[in-house]
Amino acid sequence: MAHFGISLTLFAEVRGEFRRKDGKTLARLTSRAGSGESRNMDAAPRLVEIADAFAAAHLEAILIGNAAAALHGAPVTTLDFDFLYRASAGNEIKLRRVADLLGGHITQPFPAVSTVFRILREDSQLQIDLTSQVHGVKSFNSLRSKAVRVEIEGRTILVASLPDIIRSKREANRPQDLAVLHVLQRTLEDQENGQAGTA
Amino acid sequence: MSSKELSKTKKTAKPAQRDLALETMREASEQELTLMIRRQLALPMNKRTHFLRKRLPNGGSCL
Repeated sequence: MAHFGISLTLFAEVRGEFRRKDGKTLARLTSRAGSGESRNMDAAPRLVEIADAFAAAHLEAILIGNAAAALHGAPVTTLDFDFLYRASAGNEIKLRRVADLLGGHITQPFPAVSTVFRILREDSQLQIDLTSQVHGVKSFNSLRSKAVRVEIEGRTILVASLPDIIRSKREANRPQDLAVLHVLQRTLEDQENGQAGTA
Repeated sequence: MSSKELSKTKKTAKPAQRDLALETMREASEQELTLMIRRQLALPMNKRTHFLRKRLPNGGSCL
């Protein structure tokens, strides 16, 4: 199974005053990022570039991991984009074509796992990890059947469903996955409550 | 009240206040998380794209 070196943080928005019931202040916290506005880099231009390269190479891949979770509304951040592709010799050729189109170089970061590829373009800080296997997902088709199509600047991106992302992270069972499970689970609950509220 | 009893009272009072402070902060943290999630969910999916961290030359990253 694939193990990516993904590091992550939650949006830092700790602020406020914590009071006892009798009104006495217990603690007061402030944060530079406490305005509630996200200052992180906009991933939209990168996603557009990736979608264009996938389309030109005729590669179908599904966005997974924290980038996908963030598009579902989870307040998480990431350094890279993770995709699941269908394992085939033809698709491996297409991956190399995608790397060329993006002006990056392609490597296999885990020699023991031949189905994991990394496209890196260091000057513009673009990293894409592509795998044909992911924890908790039976097949490409099963993930695709529940994936959501997101339109960004006229390009369509296939994004894995939030329950699939949660299942994948739970089964991967790495510290960095377990660290965000609570946030993803809360996001899913809020989504479901919102849908129930509007139904 | 003997000095022994007083010290016992102090020992039990301190953890209670600490637990209360921790519980209050935990609740506040959960409330803040709920607000962050709702702010994101209020946006359409194609606008929830501010999630990338910047890679730093020395190998670290920042928001």
